[in-house]
Amino acid sequence: MTSFRLTVEKAVKTYGGVTALADGNLDVQAGTVTALLGANGSGKSTLSKILTGVVSPNSGSITLNGAPMRFASPQAARQAGISAVYQELSLIPDLTVAENIWLAHEPLKNGFVSRTLMRQRTQSLLDLFAGLYNRHLTPDALITDLTPDERQLVEILKALSFDPRLIILDEATASLDGQQVNRLFELVTQWKANGMAIVMVSHRMEEIFRIADKASVLRNGRTVGERVIAETSERELVELMIEGAGALHRERAPLVDPANPVRLEVRGLKTSVLHGVDLTVRDGELLGLGGLQGQGQSDLLMALFGAIRSTGQMIVSGEARHFRHPRQAMAADVALVPGDRGSEGLLLIRSIFENLILPSWGSYGTPIRVARAREKGAVIAEELKMVMSSLDAPVNSLSGGNAQKVVIGKWLLRAPKLLLLNDPTKGIDVGAKAEFYSLLRQLRDRGTAILFYSSDDDELLGLCNRVLVMHDGRVSTELFGDRLTHEQLVSASMGTPS
Amino acid sequence: MTALTNKDSRSTLKRIQSRLPPPLVALILAVLLFLIGGLLAPGFANVNQAVNIVRLAAFLGIIAAGQTLVIISGGEGIDLSVGALVTLGAILTYRITDGDEALILPALGVILLVGLLIGLLNGIGVALLRMPPLVITLGMAGVVTGLIYFVTRGQLIGDTPPAMGTLLSSALIGPIPGVVILWLLLGAGMWLLLERTQYGKQLFAVGINRTAARLSGVRVNLVVMLTYGLSGMLAAFGGFVLLGFTQTVFLNLGQPFLFPSIAAVVVGGTVLAGGKGSYWGTIAGALVLQVINSLLLALRVEEAFQLIILGVILLVLLTMYGRQRSVRQ
Ligand SMILES: Nc1ncnc2c1ncn2[C@@H]1O[C@H](COP(=O)(O)OP(=O)(O)OP(=O)(O)O)[C@@H](O)[C@H]1O
Ligand SMILES: [Mg+2]
Repeated sequence: MTSFRLTVEKAVKTYGGVTALADGNLDVQAGTVTALLGANGSGKSTLSKILTGVVSPNSGSITLNGAPMRFASPQAARQAGISAVYQELSLIPDLTVAENIWLAHEPLKNGFVSRTLMRQRTQSLLDLFAGLYNRHLTPDALITDLTPDERQLVEILKALSFDPRLIILDEATASLDGQQVNRLFELVTQWKANGMAIVMVSHRMEEIFRIADKASVLRNGRTVGERVIAETSERELVELMIEGAGALHRERAPLVDPANPVRLEVRGLKTSVLHGVDLTVRDGELLGLGGLQGQGQSDLLMALFGAIRSTGQMIVSGEARHFRHPRQAMAADVALVPGDRGSEGLLLIRSIFENLILPSWGSYGTPIRVARAREKGAVIAEELKMVMSSLDAPVNSLSGGNAQKVVIGKWLLRAPKLLLLNDPTKGIDVGAKAEFYSLLRQLRDRGTAILFYSSDDDELLGLCNRVLVMHDGRVSTELFGDRLTHEQLVSASMGTPS
Repeated sequence: MTALTNKDSRSTLKRIQSRLPPPLVALILAVLLFLIGGLLAPGFANVNQAVNIVRLAAFLGIIAAGQTLVIISGGEGIDLSVGALVTLGAILTYRITDGDEALILPALGVILLVGLLIGLLNGIGVALLRMPPLVITLGMAGVVTGLIYFVTRGQLIGDTPPAMGTLLSSALIGPIPGVVILWLLLGAGMWLLLERTQYGKQLFAVGINRTAARLSGVRVNLVVMLTYGLSGMLAAFGGFVLLGFTQTVFLNLGQPFLFPSIAAVVVGGTVLAGGKGSYWGTIAGALVLQVINSLLLALRVEEAFQLIILGVILLVLLTMYGRQRSVRQ
């Protein structure tokens, strides 16, 4: 493979009055993993999209192997060997896995699309992640039927199907579990050895230190520094990203006072995925939910919220309840931050304000007192430090992390007594994570009961004092105190009780 | 480099467009067309003609109110039973009042209820039986029309109370007919409903993302059923109002309003995919359609050409609106 080198200099991109990128620079080479770091809204996705021709910059220069370049379209960039996994997934729900992966570059045989060939090639791509997804993920499965992590895998394979010389992974690990990330990194190491260039965006610092060779840091749309990973520290990178920030501060919660009232008690909860789950959460407890992706964690949270059918016993605030609709759960002061913000959490083309208030319109009377609702919305936006042009901007103009804050904010506004969180820090930057953690601590100290599923093991270890590890639709292991360690968490995730 | 300048000029156009919301674009277009009409057909642009156009647009606008709600509700939402319900509303009023002014209000009560019930049936089909809106409302239009034929056997007995003509169709305040005032009131009511009630806010949510709406506590099925119910009710009300103008009924009285009711909504910038739109837009859309209609009539354009011109204007507007729809990230 000939050498590959792509540089971007002084890239600028504005949307109306909003500057998404003020001075973006990047230098990528064959055989190197370049991490693109920065807080939410700092311009990482925008810079990535400039590389792939999705976004056309107002000014700036791109050089490919020494020659000036300008990609007019994603197709043009692909022709130059660049393909990307975008943060907001782009698969078409009603098409199959194979159709999505080969969309617009279907394998041909005698000039006609060959479905057999398409299936075979899809299968060999899927085999790269063999054993790390459910059996229903086949070339012919519909995207609608896949879990978020499986969609993410398909998205990665789709980018790979173009046989790129540069692959951009924009938060491709955010919804993958530990094992899937491990496998992806093994693959990245192989690709690197084969001379591929890799750009990776991630808010998980440990991942950066595991896989990246160098890091380029953006702050407020400007590239503020480049570091060789081997010669830098997490602290230095975080400080580059967020002025005046210390390293990420996590502090494990103290054991909950057993005298606290039980907020939620579940016995023998079953759905098509769950095979009988028992658990208890007390007021003021931050109970972790762990395990590999897709072991029933989402189902559990959805069932507790009345969003999917279930059987079994549920006692909420001392009363036997069985929610048949999220509305009933909300009336009982339960809130759920769902796992997939695009499809479950947001009205993308409506304003931030309307998204924040959606669950709460009922409490502002008829006619709705809009001014009061706006005040509430502004307070929560401020509290979560959302980077936005105004409350009236549509949610799809927000960066990924800020959109996630909208999903969290709309439930915090309701001051729930039981908070169900389905991987809520997905795509949130280090600074916002730290704020989110302190928010969780505050809520916990005020007596909120929190059930917290995270695909990030370090997060569970750092925040929770008790973690239920799920495997195959059951709580397989309960870890707390001294037994709550990384090793135990990993081995329990594999379903090997120790 | 050519690609760059190209994109830049396009984005300037986009910027101008996004400053002007579709309802305003439609409104400006209506006024422009009216003035152009004055140039093309001398004597077209005068006050009487303007009043007449607004009056005729009011009937269409009122009939299209429910259609607006249904299209906002998304899920390929469309109500093809509007025409049949307009006819039904007019025929029932004609029959019940039989020219008696004392029976106007009772008749109004009856047709609102009947419209609501038939609309709710549509809603049940869509929300609970998961039938495509196109199919169920088309079927419903057939059923309603069939029932009218069956019950009346084509013999339409009854009469229109004179007061309906006076109150609705003739000049009421100065040169302004009652129906225009009614239209403005309905406009205010629709704005309140869409922007200042829980139902309205939830309707937009349902139109965009039903899963997210449900997970935010919205009773999606209820909202959808209610929307089709309201549409039925407003269509029947449209028939009631229309009777004030036509003074007489016939079996396909409402049918010619079906396509324009959808066109008015779309010209007003309400997105066919759902979740975005307004009744102000529909008002402006109805005005545009009526100006075009009157102008072509004044110019004595052949009917075939009328359709072509209408189609072209629709296409041009829709591509303009389509451009400014923000693409997903
Ligand atoms: N289509 C758009 N319209 C308006 N503003 C936009 C648009 N896309 C991005 N922005 C703004 O540009 C800025 C940079 O966004 P970008 O998505 O590049 O951030 P990011 O670094 O990827 O953040 P995150 O970590 O949250 O994904 C943000 O402030 C965002 O609100
Ligand atoms: Mg991003």
